[in-house]
Amino acid sequence: MATQLQSSRLRRTAQWADVRRRGMGMWAYTLNRVTGIGLLVYLYLHLVVLSMLAGGPDMWDPFVNLARSPLFLALDVILIAGWLIHGLNGIRVTLTGLGFGTRSQKSLFVGLMLIAGIGTVVMGIMVFGS
Amino acid sequence: MTLEVALKVFRYKAGQPARYDTFRVRVPHTASVLDAIEAAWAQHDRSLTFRHACHHASCGSCAMRIDGREKLPCITPVRDVWRGRGDLRIEPLRNFPIVSDLVVDVSGFFQRMSTSGMVITRTAESYLPVAAGAADGRPRDARSVTLPEGVARVNRFENCIECGICISACPTMAASDKFMGPAALAGIYRARLEAPDEAESTRLLGFADGEHGVWRCHSGWECTEACPQGVDPAGAIMLLRRDLVKHRIRKLFGR
Amino acid sequence: MSPPHVIIIGAGSTGAATAHDLALRGLRVTVIERGEVASGTTGRNHCLLHSGGRYCVKDQESAIECIDENMILRRIMPDVLELNDGLFVAVTEDDLAFKEKFLGGCEACRIPARDLPLQRAFEVEPLLNPKTLAAVQVPDGVFEPFRFCLAFLATARRNGAIVRTYCEVNEVTRSGQSVTGVTFVDHRTGKTETIGADIVVNATGPWAGEIAEMAGVDVPVSPTAGVMVTVGKRLNNMVVNRLNKPSDGDIVVPQRTTSIIGTTSWAVGDPDLIPIPQEHVDKMFQQGEMLLPGIRQAPLRGVMAVARPLISKGGVDEREVSRTFECFDHKRDGIDGFVTISGGKTTTARAMAEKVSDMVCHKLGIEAECRTRDAPLASYRLFYQ
Repeated sequence: MATQLQSSRLRRTAQWADVRRRGMGMWAYTLNRVTGIGLLVYLYLHLVVLSMLAGGPDMWDPFVNLARSPLFLALDVILIAGWLIHGLNGIRVTLTGLGFGTRSQKSLFVGLMLIAGIGTVVMGIMVFGS
Repeated sequence: MTLEVALKVFRYKAGQPARYDTFRVRVPHTASVLDAIEAAWAQHDRSLTFRHACHHASCGSCAMRIDGREKLPCITPVRDVWRGRGDLRIEPLRNFPIVSDLVVDVSGFFQRMSTSGMVITRTAESYLPVAAGAADGRPRDARSVTLPEGVARVNRFENCIECGICISACPTMAASDKFMGPAALAGIYRARLEAPDEAESTRLLGFADGEHGVWRCHSGWECTEACPQGVDPAGAIMLLRRDLVKHRIRKLFGR
Repeated sequence: MSPPHVIIIGAGSTGAATAHDLALRGLRVTVIERGEVASGTTGRNHCLLHSGGRYCVKDQESAIECIDENMILRRIMPDVLELNDGLFVAVTEDDLAFKEKFLGGCEACRIPARDLPLQRAFEVEPLLNPKTLAAVQVPDGVFEPFRFCLAFLATARRNGAIVRTYCEVNEVTRSGQSVTGVTFVDHRTGKTETIGADIVVNATGPWAGEIAEMAGVDVPVSPTAGVMVTVGKRLNNMVVNRLNKPSDGDIVVPQRTTSIIGTTSWAVGDPDLIPIPQEHVDKMFQQGEMLLPGIRQAPLRGVMAVARPLISKGGVDEREVSRTFECFDHKRDGIDGFVTISGGKTTTARAMAEKVSDMVCHKLGIEAECRTRDAPLASYRLFYQ
């Protein structure tokens, strides 16, 4: 048999990241992966921040000032968005993944992301308003 | 009326680096992409290798990517995928080893289809998908239509034509060499509907279980999106999962 | 001593069935095909498992071949066939007048035919033209030509045959007046190879003349094209034929969830690229409407055309030429070791293979009986494994 061509392992494993010419299901899939990674990174940073508590008021107070800055608050809103997207889509994946509502998986995604969007806006107002 | 289309076709021969060749062909405006590829082969380059046989989407052999999307070129009109300018990109399916040009190695795929137990003709339907409507114009329930005399049970070819488009579209298939894949899993679902008894149905369910079976699917839903025959493999995978969970719960409670 | 080696050029239905027959008789077989299996005429065929009804009045030799082979194929490849029978329907007075001849023809050719009461016909085919005047049920069936060939080749491979696809023959090698093998280019790599054989079988359908020319002989094959139109809706449960003499668009073959209307007939010079005349497509819809009104509204799925390998009898209308097949031992043309099998139809592929395999064995002085009537075929999927 003639020599066959196959794309590299790395290329194939990273294929999911290219959502061009893909359906809504792949958008949901990729969004879930990206927000999942994002939430993981956030978790690590959160633990680093909390460890500052051990350093007493001298370590903690400057951080609290930073946490009040507009940039930081904006990042908080992005975090909320990520959490809403990942959580709500996760519900969709759990439901459809056991055979419930499979025929409406697309409309379910659209609906849930709308809720995520509205939720982000509402929470954003609350975050910046306080 | 004709149109002149430029096909940008993926080329690969063993021992040489892969490249793209551009072929300009003139075809009737109603031509399919396969007609255009055939014209490129007949008029420009006889060394172009591509799979094709039936030209009406029953054999599944011509599946490829047209402008990056998995399609059957035999039933895809050029007008549907080409805007009238620029090149039309023609590439082989993803997630299959490439033999040469647009020809991929389907041996692993057919091995999995054999394991799935799906027979290419189905007999479990009570009648055939002919829109019910009597000669007198009144709508009829299809099940009330009688069988032709001497015909014990009706049968027809399966919706799945084993084209491999779902395999190409699946992100998990890309990353895993051992995943059974949407076609084979949907095949198990169909085979269970045709199974002669409960024992056979349970045996087939067992094939869908395991780390390379239904649990490996990550709900990309691309298979269902890309399938040209409406098989809905993702739906089949999810229903198999439901059956597996039910089965496990029953076993847990000793039934 | 190793068994004789036979090269078969062409992996359509004829080549595939011949490979199976010869391999079963214990010969060494290599099939050389320039494209994918069934990528020539066979792939684009109408998918009709003939009952022979279409030929039972004017071409009884073909009709008898068809009904015999129909019954054999039901035995050897049951899982790759739709077996819901077929109807011959009369929609005009002229059609109705043909019924007696038709029933007589079926009886003469031993084709089981049942003259159905009209009400019954509408029960089994709800979308039949309401103007239908008569319906006769016959054992038509539906196959898929690609899997048909794969099944024969999978079995042949299991019995030791080698199948080389994407290999295009460009020379038939000779030593004096004897053919010694073929030279071909393997398009997967671009490399040229030569393989020797005791006999070369030309099973290339409408290209039989081109291949024969490489061996220095003539074969009277006229490529005759036909157009078929597939719609994305199944309007008939059974095959529906027009009850009359053969004509354009006289049949609608159902297949899974689609219906295929066919066909037309015109001579072509180059079977490699056949331009599809729009008038033929329009005619298919016109004729299809006569049998199943509403077919014109069904979504268009695909239009296909390919050349039949008709054996030309000189100056005869294409529709009148017999659809039977012929074997040519080119020893009579002065070239030994070369045989052509042409004409015929996919339904009779196994019978064609039997005839040419008998000829091949006779030429090689081998006593080996044909066993393909009863040998069940392997799963078509095994071809690729």
